[in-house]
Amino acid sequence: MITIKIGGSIVDNLHPTTIADIKKVSQQGVILVHGGAKQVTQISEALGKKQKFIVSPSGIKSRFTDQETVEIFTMVMSGKINKTIVRMLQKNGINAVGLSGIDGQILQADRKKKLIVVNEKGRKMAIDGGYTGKIREVNASLIKSILDQGYTPVISPVAISEEYDFLNVDGDRAAAYVAGKVKADRILFLTNVDGLLMDNKLVKNLSLSEAKEMLPKIGHGMEKKVLAATESLEMGVNEALIANGQKENPISSALSHDNCTVITK
Amino acid sequence: MNCPECDGKLNIPDDAAVGEIISCPDCGSDYEISKKDGSNIELKLAEKVGEDWGE
Repeated sequence: MITIKIGGSIVDNLHPTTIADIKKVSQQGVILVHGGAKQVTQISEALGKKQKFIVSPSGIKSRFTDQETVEIFTMVMSGKINKTIVRMLQKNGINAVGLSGIDGQILQADRKKKLIVVNEKGRKMAIDGGYTGKIREVNASLIKSILDQGYTPVISPVAISEEYDFLNVDGDRAAAYVAGKVKADRILFLTNVDGLLMDNKLVKNLSLSEAKEMLPKIGHGMEKKVLAATESLEMGVNEALIANGQKENPISSALSHDNCTVITK
Repeated sequence: MNCPECDGKLNIPDDAAVGEIISCPDCGSDYEISKKDGSNIELKLAEKVGEDWGE
């Protein structure tokens, strides 16, 4: 069984061979988890909801997810993006089922009460956490039963809180938790580069402990994928792969370790 | 004002606002300004929050 995370920026730019490639491996059970941050920003702004971004003390820029934003986030992620992927898979003979993390409580998360940001004076400040969360539990039995019936689940990164709020959760870590909790053999993060690059050189192999040690030195964006990869391995996944989704047959190529980053225990 | 943890001196800027985080230069403890009324400032231990802020 394999969990594939499709990065938001590549949903529109997947290599034309990707879907046929997913079909090749779908017999062994594929779960897709997607992102789509850029599309959420575009549609929010088209709806007149200017997106506010905040900066963490370590310099990570993130969306501030207020009540209106989380509603738009849910609409775009679980509507337009999720259904576009499902349609794309259906069109190519893969019987996909689109789900959000809300459905069947697939993704249960704890809402962040506070966030630490850097304010306009350059000082650290605690602000209301808005509607973001950290995943606590995954309804693995529901995902497995969908797989058992021959469907390919496509999951959007919208989680449900204990108070039944919609929560914006990170897609990479959502994929990691899904992979870990369903006991997937592998997790594959498809992105727009060949894998983890250090000093412009592709890192081909890493152990779990090497990956954890390297985390503070990795640039933002890729850092979250490596972190998610380490989390999935700690939850029992055998192998985490970070690979380019814009090249020919990206799935089978990554599974054969061709020009990508492979992280194992 | 001194650090409730180690008694080190906390440097709180005059224009600090409620919500700002003050770190103790000696022990590194982080405090959030919970109330400010003129020069009277109340602190509470800042919550530790990770950086998983969603998409």
